[in-house]
Amino acid sequence: MAEQHHMRQFLLFVFTLLIPFFALWTIASAPIALPAIGIAGMLLTNWFPDVVNALYASGSEAILMTEFGESAGQLIPLREAEYRLGFEVNTQILSYSLPFYTALHFATEKKTYLADYLWGVLMLYGLFVFGLVCLCLKELMVNVGAPFFNQPGALVPYAEVIAIAYQFSVLIVPTLAPAALWIWQSKDSKLLQGVFTKTVDS
Amino acid sequence: MLRFVMTFLLILIALFTLEMLNPVQEHVITPFTSLLAHLSAVLILPFDNAVVAYGKVLQFKDTGFAVSIEAGCNGVEATIVLIAAICAFPASWRARLIAIGLGFLAIQVLNIVRIISLFYLGNWNLEYFSWIHLYLWPALIMLDVLVVFIVYLRYLSKQTQPLETAVG
Repeated sequence: MAEQHHMRQFLLFVFTLLIPFFALWTIASAPIALPAIGIAGMLLTNWFPDVVNALYASGSEAILMTEFGESAGQLIPLREAEYRLGFEVNTQILSYSLPFYTALHFATEKKTYLADYLWGVLMLYGLFVFGLVCLCLKELMVNVGAPFFNQPGALVPYAEVIAIAYQFSVLIVPTLAPAALWIWQSKDSKLLQGVFTKTVDS
Repeated sequence: MLRFVMTFLLILIALFTLEMLNPVQEHVITPFTSLLAHLSAVLILPFDNAVVAYGKVLQFKDTGFAVSIEAGCNGVEATIVLIAAICAFPASWRARLIAIGLGFLAIQVLNIVRIISLFYLGNWNLEYFSWIHLYLWPALIMLDVLVVFIVYLRYLSKQTQPLETAVG
Protein backbone atom coordinates (compact mmCIF):
# COMPACT_ATOMS: atom_id res chain seq x y z
CA MET A 1 0.00 0.00 0.00
CA ALA A 2 2.84 2.36 0.93
CA GLU A 3 4.48 1.69 -2.45
CA GLN A 4 1.26 2.61 -4.26
CA HIS A 5 1.05 5.78 -2.17
CA HIS A 6 4.61 6.78 -3.15
CA MET A 7 3.88 6.13 -6.83
CA ARG A 8 0.64 8.13 -6.74
CA GLN A 9 2.37 10.98 -4.92
CA PHE A 10 5.24 10.97 -7.41
CA LEU A 11 2.91 11.04 -10.44
CA LEU A 12 0.76 13.78 -8.92
CA PHE A 13 3.83 15.93 -8.24
CA VAL A 14 5.34 15.28 -11.68
CA PHE A 15 2.16 16.33 -13.47
CA THR A 16 1.84 19.37 -11.22
CA LEU A 17 5.45 20.44 -11.77
CA LEU A 18 5.81 19.67 -15.49
CA ILE A 19 3.79 22.61 -16.79
CA PRO A 20 5.36 25.37 -14.64
CA PHE A 21 8.90 24.06 -15.22
CA PHE A 22 8.31 23.80 -18.97
CA ALA A 23 6.83 27.31 -18.95
CA LEU A 24 9.88 28.66 -17.09
CA TRP A 25 12.20 26.86 -19.50
CA THR A 26 10.35 28.34 -22.50
CA ILE A 27 10.88 31.84 -21.10
CA ALA A 28 14.53 31.19 -20.20
CA SER A 29 15.53 28.97 -23.15
CA ALA A 30 17.61 31.71 -24.84
CA PRO A 31 19.97 32.36 -21.89
CA ILE A 32 20.04 28.61 -21.14
CA ALA A 33 21.26 27.90 -24.68
CA LEU A 34 23.87 30.67 -24.77
CA PRO A 35 26.81 28.84 -23.09
CA ALA A 36 26.07 25.64 -25.07
CA ILE A 37 26.09 27.58 -28.34
CA GLY A 38 29.38 29.22 -27.35
CA ILE A 39 31.07 25.90 -26.52
CA ALA A 40 29.67 24.12 -29.61
CA GLY A 41 30.74 27.09 -31.74
CA MET A 42 34.32 26.92 -30.43
CA LEU A 43 34.46 23.18 -31.10
CA LEU A 44 33.08 23.44 -34.64
CA THR A 45 35.14 26.44 -35.79
CA ASN A 46 38.33 24.75 -34.57
CA TRP A 47 37.35 21.36 -35.98
CA PHE A 48 36.26 22.61 -39.42
CA PRO A 49 37.92 26.02 -39.95
CA ASP A 50 37.43 25.86 -43.75
CA VAL A 51 33.69 25.15 -43.51
CA VAL A 52 32.31 26.68 -40.30
CA ASN A 53 32.61 30.42 -39.84
CA ALA A 54 30.69 30.79 -36.56
CA LEU A 55 27.86 29.52 -34.44
CA TYR A 56 25.96 32.27 -32.70
CA ALA A 57 22.77 32.68 -30.74
CA SER A 58 19.59 34.29 -32.02
CA GLY A 59 17.10 33.90 -29.20
CA SER A 60 16.88 30.22 -28.44
CA GLU A 61 18.01 29.36 -31.98
CA ALA A 62 21.63 28.79 -32.97
CA ILE A 63 22.75 30.16 -36.32
CA LEU A 64 25.42 28.10 -38.02
CA MET A 65 27.34 30.30 -40.46
CA THR A 66 29.45 28.59 -43.12
CA GLU A 67 32.40 29.68 -45.25
CA PHE A 68 30.22 29.35 -48.37
CA GLY A 69 27.68 31.36 -50.28
CA GLU A 70 24.68 30.26 -52.29
CA SER A 71 23.31 31.10 -55.70
CA ALA A 72 20.18 29.53 -57.26
CA GLY A 73 20.30 26.70 -54.75
CA GLN A 74 23.95 25.90 -55.52
CA LEU A 75 26.83 26.16 -53.06
CA ILE A 76 29.41 28.68 -54.29
CA PRO A 77 32.69 30.08 -52.86
CA LEU A 78 32.15 33.00 -50.49
CA ARG A 79 34.10 35.48 -52.65
CA GLU A 80 31.61 34.93 -55.51
CA ALA A 81 28.53 35.17 -53.30
CA GLU A 82 26.44 38.12 -52.19
CA TYR A 83 25.87 36.66 -48.74
CA ARG A 84 27.16 34.01 -46.40
CA LEU A 85 25.18 30.77 -46.15
CA GLY A 86 23.86 29.95 -42.68
CA PHE A 87 21.41 27.55 -41.07
CA GLU A 88 19.05 27.82 -38.15
CA VAL A 89 19.34 25.15 -35.48
CA ASN A 90 16.58 24.72 -32.88
CA THR A 91 18.30 24.24 -29.52
CA GLN A 92 15.03 23.66 -27.65
CA ILE A 93 14.63 20.17 -29.11
CA LEU A 94 17.67 19.30 -26.97
CA SER A 95 17.35 21.52 -23.91
CA TYR A 96 13.84 20.38 -22.91
CA SER A 97 15.64 17.59 -21.06
CA LEU A 98 16.28 20.21 -18.34
CA PRO A 99 12.66 20.99 -17.31
CA PHE A 100 11.77 17.30 -17.63
CA TYR A 101 14.61 16.34 -15.29
CA THR A 102 13.73 19.20 -12.94
CA ALA A 103 10.12 17.99 -12.67
CA LEU A 104 11.19 14.37 -12.04
CA HIS A 105 13.79 15.43 -9.49
CA PHE A 106 11.61 17.73 -7.40
CA ALA A 107 8.60 15.39 -7.59
CA THR A 108 10.55 12.75 -5.67
CA GLU A 109 10.72 12.66 -1.89
CA LYS A 110 14.41 12.88 -0.97
CA LYS A 111 16.61 13.88 1.94
CA THR A 112 18.66 16.36 -0.08
CA TYR A 113 17.83 18.03 -3.38
CA LEU A 114 20.32 20.67 -4.43
CA ALA A 115 23.68 18.88 -4.85
CA ASP A 116 22.22 16.01 -6.89
CA TYR A 117 20.21 18.47 -8.94
CA LEU A 118 23.24 20.57 -9.84
CA TRP A 119 25.20 17.45 -10.84
CA GLY A 120 22.25 16.30 -12.93
CA VAL A 121 21.93 19.64 -14.70
CA LEU A 122 25.68 19.68 -15.38
CA MET A 123 25.55 16.22 -16.95
CA LEU A 124 22.49 17.06 -19.03
CA TYR A 125 24.17 20.27 -20.15
CA GLY A 126 27.14 18.24 -21.41
CA LEU A 127 24.74 16.09 -23.43
CA PHE A 128 23.04 19.26 -24.67
CA VAL A 129 26.37 20.54 -26.05
CA PHE A 130 27.10 17.14 -27.64
CA GLY A 131 23.60 17.08 -29.18
CA LEU A 132 24.06 20.60 -30.55
CA VAL A 133 27.32 19.57 -32.23
CA CYS A 134 25.48 16.56 -33.75
CA LEU A 135 22.69 18.83 -35.02
CA CYS A 136 25.24 21.13 -36.67
CA LEU A 137 27.10 18.16 -38.21
CA LYS A 138 23.82 16.95 -39.68
CA GLU A 139 23.12 20.43 -41.15
CA LEU A 140 26.60 20.48 -42.70
CA MET A 141 26.20 16.94 -44.03
CA VAL A 142 22.81 17.60 -45.62
CA ASN A 143 23.27 21.20 -46.81
CA VAL A 144 26.99 21.49 -47.57
CA GLY A 145 27.66 17.89 -48.59
CA ALA A 146 30.84 17.15 -50.55
CA PRO A 147 32.87 20.24 -49.49
CA PHE A 148 32.16 19.28 -45.87
CA PHE A 149 33.23 15.66 -46.28
CA ASN A 150 36.28 16.46 -48.44
CA GLN A 151 37.97 18.96 -46.15
CA PRO A 152 41.74 18.66 -46.24
CA GLY A 153 43.29 18.07 -42.83
CA ALA A 154 40.03 17.63 -40.92
CA LEU A 155 38.75 14.35 -39.55
CA VAL A 156 35.12 14.24 -40.69
CA PRO A 157 32.89 11.49 -39.25
CA TYR A 158 31.24 9.05 -41.66
CA ALA A 159 27.78 10.09 -42.87
CA GLU A 160 26.22 7.04 -41.17
CA VAL A 161 27.82 7.99 -37.84
CA ILE A 162 26.51 11.56 -38.13
CA ALA A 163 23.02 10.30 -39.06
CA ILE A 164 22.80 7.91 -36.11
CA ALA A 165 24.38 10.38 -33.67
CA TYR A 166 21.88 13.04 -34.80
CA GLN A 167 18.85 10.75 -34.51
CA PHE A 168 20.05 9.43 -31.15
CA SER A 169 20.71 12.93 -29.79
CA VAL A 170 17.32 14.27 -30.89
CA LEU A 171 14.98 11.30 -30.50
CA ILE A 172 16.34 9.47 -27.47
CA VAL A 173 18.79 11.45 -25.34
CA PRO A 174 16.59 14.46 -24.34
CA THR A 175 14.01 12.19 -22.71
CA LEU A 176 16.10 9.15 -21.79
CA ALA A 177 18.99 11.00 -20.12
CA PRO A 178 16.78 12.80 -17.53
CA ALA A 179 14.90 9.56 -16.79
CA ALA A 180 18.13 7.55 -16.40
CA LEU A 181 19.70 10.25 -14.21
CA TRP A 182 16.57 10.38 -12.09
CA ILE A 183 16.57 6.59 -11.57
CA TRP A 184 20.26 6.67 -10.61
CA GLN A 185 19.85 9.55 -8.16
CA SER A 186 16.55 8.31 -6.71
CA LYS A 187 17.42 4.66 -6.18
CA ASP A 188 17.43 5.23 -2.41
CA SER A 189 14.22 7.27 -2.39
CA LYS A 190 11.05 5.83 -0.86
CA LEU A 191 9.65 5.31 -4.33
CA LEU A 192 12.49 3.09 -5.55
CA GLN A 193 14.06 1.98 -2.27
CA GLY A 194 14.88 -1.72 -2.33
CA VAL A 195 13.08 -2.30 -5.61
CA PHE A 196 16.00 -1.44 -7.83
CA THR A 197 19.06 -2.37 -5.77
CA LYS A 198 17.66 -5.63 -4.41
CA THR A 199 16.88 -7.06 -7.82
CA VAL A 200 20.00 -5.80 -9.59
CA ASP A 201 22.41 -6.91 -6.90
CA SER A 202 20.77 -10.32 -6.38
CA MET B 1 24.64 -2.06 -11.57
CA LEU B 2 27.44 -1.35 -14.04
CA ARG B 3 26.53 -4.56 -15.87
CA PHE B 4 22.92 -3.39 -16.16
CA VAL B 5 23.94 0.02 -17.52
CA MET B 6 26.36 -1.47 -20.07
CA THR B 7 23.87 -4.12 -21.26
CA PHE B 8 21.13 -1.48 -21.46
CA LEU B 9 23.26 0.85 -23.59
CA LEU B 10 24.43 -1.98 -25.83
CA ILE B 11 20.88 -3.22 -26.53
CA LEU B 12 19.61 0.34 -26.93
CA ILE B 13 22.23 1.31 -29.52
CA ALA B 14 21.86 -2.03 -31.37
CA LEU B 15 18.05 -1.76 -31.60
CA PHE B 16 18.18 1.92 -32.49
CA THR B 17 20.71 1.29 -35.28
CA LEU B 18 18.56 -1.62 -36.50
CA GLU B 19 15.53 0.66 -36.58
CA MET B 20 17.40 3.16 -38.74
CA LEU B 21 18.22 0.61 -41.47
CA ASN B 22 16.31 1.18 -44.71
CA PRO B 23 14.84 -2.36 -45.02
CA VAL B 24 13.55 -2.15 -41.42
CA GLN B 25 12.09 1.29 -42.06
CA GLU B 26 10.46 0.10 -45.29
CA HIS B 27 9.06 -3.25 -44.11
CA VAL B 28 8.39 -2.67 -40.41
CA ILE B 29 8.38 0.96 -39.27
CA THR B 30 6.48 2.58 -42.15
CA PRO B 31 3.67 -0.07 -42.24
CA PHE B 32 3.41 0.12 -38.45
CA THR B 33 3.22 3.93 -38.57
CA SER B 34 0.50 3.72 -41.26
CA LEU B 35 -1.39 1.30 -39.02
CA LEU B 36 -1.23 3.88 -36.21
CA ALA B 37 -2.66 6.56 -38.53
CA HIS B 38 -5.52 4.27 -39.59
CA LEU B 39 -6.19 3.16 -36.02
CA SER B 40 -6.35 6.81 -34.94
CA ALA B 41 -8.82 7.54 -37.77
CA VAL B 42 -10.94 4.51 -36.76
CA LEU B 43 -11.08 5.81 -33.18
CA ILE B 44 -11.97 9.35 -34.28
CA LEU B 45 -14.57 8.48 -36.94
CA PRO B 46 -17.48 7.57 -34.60
CA PHE B 47 -17.23 11.10 -33.16
CA ASP B 48 -16.03 13.10 -36.16
CA ASN B 49 -16.60 11.95 -39.74
CA ALA B 50 -14.53 14.78 -41.23
CA VAL B 51 -11.31 12.75 -40.78
CA VAL B 52 -9.50 10.59 -43.32
CA ALA B 53 -6.25 8.55 -43.09
CA TYR B 54 -3.93 7.63 -45.97
CA GLY B 55 -0.41 6.24 -45.53
CA LYS B 56 1.11 7.90 -42.47
CA VAL B 57 -1.18 10.93 -42.81
CA LEU B 58 -4.29 11.92 -40.88
CA GLN B 59 -6.31 14.73 -42.47
CA PHE B 60 -9.42 16.81 -41.87
CA LYS B 61 -11.57 16.69 -45.02
CA ASP B 62 -13.12 20.11 -44.36
CA THR B 63 -10.15 22.30 -43.31
CA GLY B 64 -7.48 20.29 -45.15
CA PHE B 65 -5.23 20.31 -42.07
CA ALA B 66 -3.14 17.14 -41.95
CA VAL B 67 -0.50 15.55 -39.74
CA SER B 68 2.08 13.03 -40.95
CA ILE B 69 3.29 10.58 -38.32
CA GLU B 70 7.08 10.55 -38.58
CA ALA B 71 10.02 8.94 -36.79
CA GLY B 72 9.85 9.81 -33.12
CA CYS B 73 6.07 10.10 -33.23
CA ASN B 74 5.23 6.40 -33.56
CA GLY B 75 6.35 5.33 -30.09
CA VAL B 76 8.99 3.00 -31.55
CA GLU B 77 11.92 4.76 -29.86
CA ALA B 78 10.13 4.70 -26.49
CA THR B 79 9.44 0.98 -26.99
CA ILE B 80 13.13 0.42 -27.81
CA VAL B 81 14.15 2.13 -24.56
CA LEU B 82 11.70 -0.04 -22.61
CA ILE B 83 12.85 -3.27 -24.31
CA ALA B 84 16.50 -2.40 -23.60
CA ALA B 85 15.76 -1.67 -19.93
CA ILE B 86 13.69 -4.84 -19.45
CA CYS B 87 16.18 -7.10 -21.26
CA ALA B 88 19.14 -5.65 -19.37
CA PHE B 89 17.50 -6.41 -16.03
CA PRO B 90 17.95 -9.85 -14.46
CA ALA B 91 14.64 -11.75 -14.67
CA SER B 92 13.09 -14.79 -16.31
CA TRP B 93 12.41 -14.53 -20.04
CA ARG B 94 8.71 -15.16 -19.40
CA ALA B 95 8.53 -12.09 -17.10
CA ARG B 96 10.51 -10.06 -19.62
CA LEU B 97 8.29 -10.98 -22.55
CA ILE B 98 5.08 -10.25 -20.63
CA ALA B 99 6.51 -6.89 -19.51
CA ILE B 100 7.56 -6.01 -23.05
CA GLY B 101 4.09 -6.92 -24.39
CA LEU B 102 2.20 -4.96 -21.74
CA GLY B 103 4.67 -2.08 -21.91
CA PHE B 104 4.30 -1.89 -25.67
CA LEU B 105 0.51 -1.67 -25.24
CA ALA B 106 0.84 1.03 -22.54
CA ILE B 107 3.13 3.10 -24.77
CA GLN B 108 0.98 2.73 -27.87
CA VAL B 109 -2.28 3.55 -26.07
CA LEU B 110 -0.74 6.80 -24.82
CA ASN B 111 0.83 7.40 -28.22
CA ILE B 112 -2.54 7.19 -29.95
CA VAL B 113 -3.89 9.69 -27.39
CA ARG B 114 -0.90 11.87 -28.35
CA ILE B 115 -1.56 11.57 -32.10
CA ILE B 116 -5.27 12.36 -31.78
CA SER B 117 -4.72 15.24 -29.34
CA LEU B 118 -2.02 16.77 -31.57
CA PHE B 119 -4.21 16.35 -34.65
CA TYR B 120 -6.99 18.43 -33.07
CA LEU B 121 -4.56 20.86 -31.45
CA GLY B 122 -2.82 21.51 -34.77
CA ASN B 123 -6.12 22.22 -36.46
CA TRP B 124 -6.80 24.83 -33.79
CA ASN B 125 -3.41 26.48 -33.19
CA LEU B 126 -0.11 25.59 -34.88
CA GLU B 127 2.07 27.37 -32.33
CA TYR B 128 0.69 25.36 -29.41
CA PHE B 129 0.83 22.25 -31.59
CA SER B 130 4.59 22.69 -32.21
CA TRP B 131 5.40 23.35 -28.56
CA ILE B 132 3.40 20.45 -27.19
CA HIS B 133 4.44 18.10 -30.02
CA LEU B 134 8.17 18.79 -29.83
CA TYR B 135 8.69 19.22 -26.10
CA LEU B 136 5.84 18.17 -23.81
CA TRP B 137 4.54 14.94 -25.37
CA PRO B 138 7.98 13.28 -25.71
CA ALA B 139 8.51 13.89 -21.97
CA LEU B 140 5.10 12.38 -21.18
CA ILE B 141 5.78 9.31 -23.31
CA MET B 142 9.12 8.77 -21.52
CA LEU B 143 7.31 9.21 -18.20
CA ASP B 144 5.01 6.41 -19.35
CA VAL B 145 8.06 4.20 -20.06
CA LEU B 146 9.48 5.08 -16.64
CA VAL B 147 6.25 4.18 -14.83
CA VAL B 148 5.94 0.86 -16.72
CA PHE B 149 9.56 0.03 -15.81
CA ILE B 150 9.08 0.89 -12.13
CA VAL B 151 5.88 -1.20 -11.97
CA TYR B 152 7.83 -4.06 -13.57
CA LEU B 153 10.67 -3.70 -11.03
CA ARG B 154 8.13 -3.79 -8.21
CA TYR B 155 6.57 -6.92 -9.64
CA LEU B 156 10.01 -8.58 -9.81
CA SER B 157 10.85 -7.42 -6.31
CA LYS B 158 7.63 -8.97 -4.94
CA GLN B 159 8.40 -12.21 -6.77
CA THR B 160 11.89 -12.46 -5.21
CA GLN B 161 10.93 -11.38 -1.67
CA PRO B 162 9.25 -14.66 -0.55
CA LEU B 163 12.28 -16.57 -1.87
CA GLU B 164 14.69 -14.37 0.07
CA THR B 165 12.59 -14.78 3.23
CA ALA B 166 12.52 -18.54 2.75
CA VAL B 167 16.29 -18.68 2.20
CA GLY B 168 16.98 -16.24 5.04
